[in-house]
Amino acid sequence: MEIQRFQEDLLKRAQEVGFEEAEVYYEKSNAFQVKIFEGEIDSYETSEEGGVGFRGLYTGKMGYAYTEKIDDDSVSFLIESAKANADALDEDDGTDTFEGSDHYSHHSRYSDALANIPIPEKISFIKEVEKKTLAYDPRIVSVNHCVLQDFEGERVLTNNKGLSLHDKMNGLVVFVYAVAKERDVMKTGGAVRLTRDFSSLDADEIAKEAAEEALSYLEEKSIPSRKYPVIMRHDASASLLAAFTPIFSAEKAQKGQSLLKDKIGEGIGAKNFSLVDDPFHPEALLGRNFDGEGVATEKTMVISNGTLNTLLHNRKTAKKDGVDSTGHASKSSYKSTLSVAPDNLYIAPGEESQEELLATIKEGVFITELSGLHSGTSTISGDFSVAAAGFSIIDGKIASPVKQMTIAGNFYDYMNAIESVASNLKFVPGGYGSPSLKLKELSVTVD
Amino acid sequence: MIKQSIIENVLEAALSTGGDFSEVFIEDKFVNSIELQSDKIESSISGRDFGIGIRIFSGLQNVYTYTSDFSEEGLIEAAKRAALAISGGGNGIIHPLQKEIVKPIHMIAQLPQTVEHARKVAVMRKANEIAKNYDERIRQVGLRYVDEEQNVLIANSEGKFVEDKRVHSRLAIQSTATDGVEMQSGFYGPGAHAGFEFIENLDLQHYAGEASRIAVTMLGADKCPSGKFPVIIDNEFGGVIFHEACGHGLEATSVAKNNSVFANRIGEKVAPDIVTYIDDGTLPNEWGSLTIDDEGEKTRKNVLIENGILKGYMIDKFNARRMNAEATGSSRRQSYRFNPTSRMTNTYIAPGKSTPEEIIASTENGIYAKYMGGGSVNPATGDYNFAVAEAYLVKDGKIDRPVRGATLIGNGAKTLQLVDKVGNNLAHGAGMCGSVSGSLPVNVGQPMLRISEITVGGTKGE
Repeated sequence: MEIQRFQEDLLKRAQEVGFEEAEVYYEKSNAFQVKIFEGEIDSYETSEEGGVGFRGLYTGKMGYAYTEKIDDDSVSFLIESAKANADALDEDDGTDTFEGSDHYSHHSRYSDALANIPIPEKISFIKEVEKKTLAYDPRIVSVNHCVLQDFEGERVLTNNKGLSLHDKMNGLVVFVYAVAKERDVMKTGGAVRLTRDFSSLDADEIAKEAAEEALSYLEEKSIPSRKYPVIMRHDASASLLAAFTPIFSAEKAQKGQSLLKDKIGEGIGAKNFSLVDDPFHPEALLGRNFDGEGVATEKTMVISNGTLNTLLHNRKTAKKDGVDSTGHASKSSYKSTLSVAPDNLYIAPGEESQEELLATIKEGVFITELSGLHSGTSTISGDFSVAAAGFSIIDGKIASPVKQMTIAGNFYDYMNAIESVASNLKFVPGGYGSPSLKLKELSVTVD
Repeated sequence: MIKQSIIENVLEAALSTGGDFSEVFIEDKFVNSIELQSDKIESSISGRDFGIGIRIFSGLQNVYTYTSDFSEEGLIEAAKRAALAISGGGNGIIHPLQKEIVKPIHMIAQLPQTVEHARKVAVMRKANEIAKNYDERIRQVGLRYVDEEQNVLIANSEGKFVEDKRVHSRLAIQSTATDGVEMQSGFYGPGAHAGFEFIENLDLQHYAGEASRIAVTMLGADKCPSGKFPVIIDNEFGGVIFHEACGHGLEATSVAKNNSVFANRIGEKVAPDIVTYIDDGTLPNEWGSLTIDDEGEKTRKNVLIENGILKGYMIDKFNARRMNAEATGSSRRQSYRFNPTSRMTNTYIAPGKSTPEEIIASTENGIYAKYMGGGSVNPATGDYNFAVAEAYLVKDGKIDRPVRGATLIGNGAKTLQLVDKVGNNLAHGAGMCGSVSGSLPVNVGQPMLRISEITVGGTKGE
């Protein structure tokens, strides 16, 4: 069954059975992924997928349903399920569908050139990356994860208020993790690239970065557990920011799950700390021109020089707080109800280089990787205690890798403890970015 | 779900370029998810996930494709497109499909899809009341109810043709306590491979009460000290430590490529005599249980470590080729979107002889981890980390005050050697495990254990 007809049928049927408002959200994507192991294709995946999310206002309440099976039966399934789900809700919470914004940006996130790269070219490139990583140093014993993925997707939002929006994007990601071994110690290190410009990828540079990262962790030493001044490398900082992003959601604040609840206009961080969400940032791969409700997206200054300007809103949370939506209604897919999330949230870069930041520390720790973030962080209290990899800093220079560590603190204190911000802004997959940061001190425990 | 003749044609198209094995995985899944926040049912969504995954092997090449297009042309085209990646000299034989009738070992009394929302909501409200009324400092209670009915059909070029229905039900409870300045939360999420009968028979007093008790206890807790301590890990969800520290390293996913510290060590002593570690997908109605795995193999009880000796791994069909071993009924995938691989089901440490009282009484100065949070591991190095949701200091053989913010770090293979007490109170807890083939329901389990030394990362300044 054709999707266009399916959408039309669905909106028509919704109206017939008494939905006051109805909206159809359709997503379609295809992807390719190849994984290389010891010079051979270890796995090769292609996919085509899509689905329809339906929501409608029934007796004043918004019911949701979705399907991946596009056939006549599914129209009834969506209508009946959405009705039952609307009935289960306690009360009309003021949500409705949207007429549309006055103006939409037409920022393009699609590259025809990328879409036309032949598969064999992509395979030979990623094989080259594996070969070069292995050849980089005799201590690189294997490449345990060597993957190239590309994807393209489109989304369409239509409703019975006449809104009809369309967006499409594509991108390519390369992940390489090398395993370095010396005596009995194994260490891993990786490199990641996100791009829409295939020609910008350099196999030598990627191999070198992954291999050197893995090698750099060999010959680890222990240092005393205590508080140290810390440099958080850009990627480690971005991953911590990603874990604490829910605290900037108005939805969480309204539910009493963020301590930023009544902090608009107040200083919540150091003066050199600014937090930006930019759906159009050229370095970030993702983004969108309209949010999950069809509101036009725009660049948002969440924190300017330490002062909290706004939380992230969708139309429902904005209405509750008496403000305008910031265009952050999130639907992670057609399968989800509406929530709040950023597009490309990043810490604004400063002026100094990472080396200049390191040079200011006599004795400290340089953190390059965090793990266990999903379990070691509490967005409710702000507390974190997470596993970390990194190096000791002595007299302004990186001295030696440190055995497995944990760093612990509280994110609300952390924002205030930022002493300097480097200029090296980088994005990680998922749409979070940061430059390297210098923190006054963090509690470091070493294995 | 799809006609047998079409499946045969798809399996054949998949082998058209010389592959030696092809497989079709058809999934039709119904999901209901309801959320309660601040005493109100806030969201409710139902859905149908539907798609087909096609897998082709040619020697050690593994090609996977998936689509939601269920027309014969669409499926054949997808199979042919995937087959393009293979230029094999395989024999490409399709054995006639033989329908296999598998006796389900996990009985379902009430299919959730047939239960109206009102009954599900009623249980949620009851749990909400219990959690909220536990203590006046409980300011927020969030509940999430989820049920899933996954119907699968698995067919392959070896003639396998088997269907299965998997039903999962779960109620997750999160309580947040505040004293006006700080907030702490507590969580409990019981789940089962069972229908609505599981939800209706839940001991809500226990689960909702515990979620609130943890939140309130942690509100008053001191910061956890840092350093090396003997750590007592309580039973049930405490088993997450060995799930991370050993379980992942025993999956063929990492063993087959020698990316695990346990690779090539069958028959070696890897743990003290008191440690026996088992993965068992047949435990009736447990959260991680299955009748057949996602390759259509019957699940079984796999003894991984017996009295300290490494006995076996969890192996899927593809890695079995690389390892020259038999598959163990351990192949799993989140959905048709994932190429399946070896994963855990219900993994646990077998009970020992010590009583919990003895273990605590024999610990002079240590940490007692009553409830664990989640964690993660780097399977190549075995380095793990995980959070403790509710911890206490142990002083002179007695449980002392609660502490918060404790994280345990270490190396799986080394920690395994340091188990010095195994209790007699085995229990299992439900969790979600994320790895290469997606996020899956798994049980972790153990009796109370003591590890003679773990590095504890706390927030307390020195």
